[in-house]
Amino acid sequence: MKTKSLIFLAVSLLITVAFLSNNAFAQKKPGPWEVPAKYKTMKNPVKTTDADATASGKALYAKHCKSCHGSKGLGDGPKAAGLKTSSGDFSGAAFQSQTDGELFYKTSFGRDEMPAYDKKVPDEADRWSMVNYMRSLKK
Amino acid sequence: MKNKNMIFRISAIITMALMMIQAAASAQEDSLGPDNRPAKPAFESGYLIDQQTSVVPIKNTLEFAIHHRFGTVENGISDLYGIYGASNIRLGLNYSLTNNIQVGIGTTKLKKYQDVTIKYSILKQSRSLSIPVSVTFFENIGIDARDEAVFGTQYKFSQRFSYFSQLIITHRFDDMVSLQVSPSFTHYNWTDIQVQKIENEAGEEVNDTIRFDHDKIGISFGCRVKISPQTSIIAGVDLPLWVDKIREYPKPDQLSKPNISLGVEISTSTHAFQIFIASAQGILPQENMMWNNLDGSDKLLISQFMLGFNITRLWNF
Repeated sequence: MKTKSLIFLAVSLLITVAFLSNNAFAQKKPGPWEVPAKYKTMKNPVKTTDADATASGKALYAKHCKSCHGSKGLGDGPKAAGLKTSSGDFSGAAFQSQTDGELFYKTSFGRDEMPAYDKKVPDEADRWSMVNYMRSLKK
Repeated sequence: MKNKNMIFRISAIITMALMMIQAAASAQEDSLGPDNRPAKPAFESGYLIDQQTSVVPIKNTLEFAIHHRFGTVENGISDLYGIYGASNIRLGLNYSLTNNIQVGIGTTKLKKYQDVTIKYSILKQSRSLSIPVSVTFFENIGIDARDEAVFGTQYKFSQRFSYFSQLIITHRFDDMVSLQVSPSFTHYNWTDIQVQKIENEAGEEVNDTIRFDHDKIGISFGCRVKISPQTSIIAGVDLPLWVDKIREYPKPDQLSKPNISLGVEISTSTHAFQIFIASAQGILPQENMMWNNLDGSDKLLISQFMLGFNITRLWNF
C-alpha cells in the first residue's frame, strides 16, 4: 500500500512539475512596439536592385539575425527556444505590413531580448540592406 | 638570403597588385560618384590565429579574448596529439576608446607574460578603393613576470620588458577574400645566454656560450577565405628574418623558426571561434618571432605543430 502511495505521489509530482515548467517556459508574444514617427516614414535609400547591397544584407542577416529568427525568418533559429519572447515570423503579413523605417528602427535600436545593431552594424546602408533582405522572406 | 629575396619579391607583387586594383576601381566609378565609406571589416575579429588584424571594433566595445595552444602533436595518440600535453593560455581584455584606437591587457601562462597592447587604425580601406588598403599600427609591451632568479645575477626590473611593433597592411578583395601583410620589429631588453659543451681543436670538452640578439625584424602574411556567411578558412605565416645589419652576435645554431598556421573560423554576431593547427605556442607575437622552436635544427618539423583555438566575445556599451 505504501509503495503504491509513493508511486502515486511521485507521478503526481512529475505531472505538476511538467505542467508548471511548461507554463514557466512558454514564450510571451511580443507587446506593442512604438516607433517614433520620424523613423516610420523614413525612406529606404538602398535599392533592391543593388546586387552588392542585396548580398551584403543576406550575409549580415546570416551573421546577426539567423541564430534567433531562423534562416527563413520563421522565428525558429537555434537560440529561439531559449528566449522569453517569441522572435516572430518575418514571412507573415503582420510583420511585412510594417514600413521599412519601422524595421530599420527596430533593427537599429532593439529592446529587451532583441539586441541593438547600431554598433554591431555601424553603417546605416548596411542596416537598410538587412531590411531589404527581411522583405525577401515574405511568403 | 634566398628567403629574403623571396619575401621582397612577394611584397613587390602584392604592392603592384594593390596598385592595379586601385587603378581599376578609379576607372569603375559611376555617375553617382565614388562610395568612400569605409569598407566592411576585412576580418571577423582582431585576431587571425597568432596574428593581429586591422579590425578595431566600434568605440566603447569591450572584447574578451581566450587563446589556447595545446601541446605539440609529436607524441601522437599517447597524449591525443598534444591535447593532454603542456599547453599555453592567454586571457585578454581589449577596449575601443575611439573608432580607431583599441587598448588592451593580457596575461599568458608561458613565462607569466603580462602584456599591454595598443592598436591604432591609421587608414581604412574605402568601398570605392580610393583608399586601397587599411593600415593599422599595433604595439605589444610584454613583462616577463617569472622569478628574479631567471634573469641572472645582475637583475634589473627593465630586463623583464619586451616590445613588439607592427604595421598591418590589409586589403579586403571582396566579401570572401582578405589578405594582410605585416612587417614587424621585436625587441627584448634582455636575452638569455646558453652554455653548451663543445670539443675544441685539441679534442677537449669546453664550454661555449651562445648569445641571442635583442632585436628581430619579421614579416607576417595572413589571409581569410569565406566559404559560407559564417565560416572561413584562415591561414597565416610569421617569418622571423635574419638581417645582417642589426645583428649583434654571430649567427647561432638556434634560430627562431617560422610560424605556419591553418584553421577554420566561425563567427557570429558577437563571437569569433578559430580552431587551427600552428607551429608556434607563444601566443604573444614577440615570443613567436624571437623564440619559436629553438632546437638547433634549421627545419620546421611536422612534429612541432600543435592544435589551438581562439575565442573572442564582444560587448557594446
